[in-house]
Amino acid sequence: MRASQTLRHLIGPIELLHEQAGPGLLRLTRLGVFALWIVKLLLDPLWRLADMPREMFQPVGILALLPAPALDQLLTPGGLTAFLVLTLVVLALGLTNRAFPLVATLAAILLTAYSSLIRSFGPAVHTDIVLLLAVYALAGFAWADWIASMLDGKKSPPGAWSSCPLVAIVSMLCLSYCLVGLNRTVAGGASVFTGDTMETWAIDASLRGYYFNTNIGWHIPEWPMIVLILRSGLPVITLFEITAPLCLASSHFRWIFIPVMLSFHLLSLVFMNIFFFDDMLLYLLLVDWSRRFPALRARQA
Amino acid sequence: MITSARAPSRLHPAIVVALIGLCIALIIWLVSHAVPLKLAGQAYLIIIILLAFRYWPPMIRWVVSMPVPHRVVFGVLIGSMVLGHYTLNGRTYFPYVAWEIFPFAHENDPVTCREFIATTESGNKVRLLVEQLFPSIVQINPLDGYSPEITERLARALAKVYNAHHAGDPVRQVDLFVMAVQLHPPASESRAQPSCELLKHYDISSGR
Repeated sequence: MRASQTLRHLIGPIELLHEQAGPGLLRLTRLGVFALWIVKLLLDPLWRLADMPREMFQPVGILALLPAPALDQLLTPGGLTAFLVLTLVVLALGLTNRAFPLVATLAAILLTAYSSLIRSFGPAVHTDIVLLLAVYALAGFAWADWIASMLDGKKSPPGAWSSCPLVAIVSMLCLSYCLVGLNRTVAGGASVFTGDTMETWAIDASLRGYYFNTNIGWHIPEWPMIVLILRSGLPVITLFEITAPLCLASSHFRWIFIPVMLSFHLLSLVFMNIFFFDDMLLYLLLVDWSRRFPALRARQA
Repeated sequence: MITSARAPSRLHPAIVVALIGLCIALIIWLVSHAVPLKLAGQAYLIIIILLAFRYWPPMIRWVVSMPVPHRVVFGVLIGSMVLGHYTLNGRTYFPYVAWEIFPFAHENDPVTCREFIATTESGNKVRLLVEQLFPSIVQINPLDGYSPEITERLARALAKVYNAHHAGDPVRQVDLFVMAVQLHPPASESRAQPSCELLKHYDISSGR
């Protein structure tokens, strides 16, 4: 009896994250997601891409649908600057919350083109994909709100379905981790978790260099303790990745998941120069703000 | 009025569990003949996770409370991610991509990488990284995948952008090196830098 009580205490409450979220929290999330994209774009000298060798450009996603003359126009300093300014204007309009379904849809299209463009000179990396999908969720549910209000003759209180985009964004964030973990375990097999794999990845990433360069990763073979931490950490992180969907249900799991995965992302930065800061900021949605702050809860009809 | 009660199951629960397990194993075995296990295995696990949420009461309550348009949007968002993962394609259906991050074991010893090291007018050595001089680009493909002509054009593009921001000490020469780090260095060896071997030399000052 005592054991089961202890177990229940350890597991904690099992409740759907953001189930009680109201329009206030949704508004904050919209502001946060759009503001984060604005900051990212403001820091990006996109026009420099015009100087990259054109032979390296292999269009990704919707860019492959554009005709060659349109791509030629886009890949000029003027074209890239105009595209950047247009995207920033649309994102800024998204902050005003006016005609949000339309503005968010436009933002989703432009950000998809932007994300495709910056990946067209290399591999289609996973950085900021979930942040882009978050814009899709905000746009999609804004249209769903509008359609639902048309169908039920505006009987529902405003913001009645505010929890939907929030749960969807967290679900997509968790699913992305889960798919990565499952893929590594099932497709990679046991060999990924044994031998020198982890050191090879870390040295390779640190040699290649990215925007952030700590120049530490290539020293790893000289530090047996770091090798041990990296090797033993990989299966633990993969387990947390696979079980990430539990974040939707368990607050106790979230309080373990967040520090573990934040540590993992910081270690990736230190040893591999890889920084998923968008995902780290999306962790703010792993906190059930509406349960903590009544002002952010949905009002009952 | 007395209604007839349902006849109790004659099978022991352990046998029922074993039969269900055998049925699942049979389905896995059959499907694995048509689909590689690395795909089928992921599909089974994803289905188990989705089913767990499908029958979780708070999720049922939440989904049932949603209007149909919201259910459609939620289903499309999650379904597209799962389908995108199964395209095994990172480019065509972006942002619905295969979620592969460090999926395979690569044990190359030594680990090697090509990179550009520039020499400025004052004699300083600087590392020219695409991801720093073109911050829009998160990552490029390894340089050994490009032809010598494209590599040279890239070296010149990097030097041009560098010089635009360092007019006082511009780049005069760019060298393409292959850097190497041993996974198992001799215990006595201590390194400050990876070993490097010159592959190609590009004279930037000539303006070619």
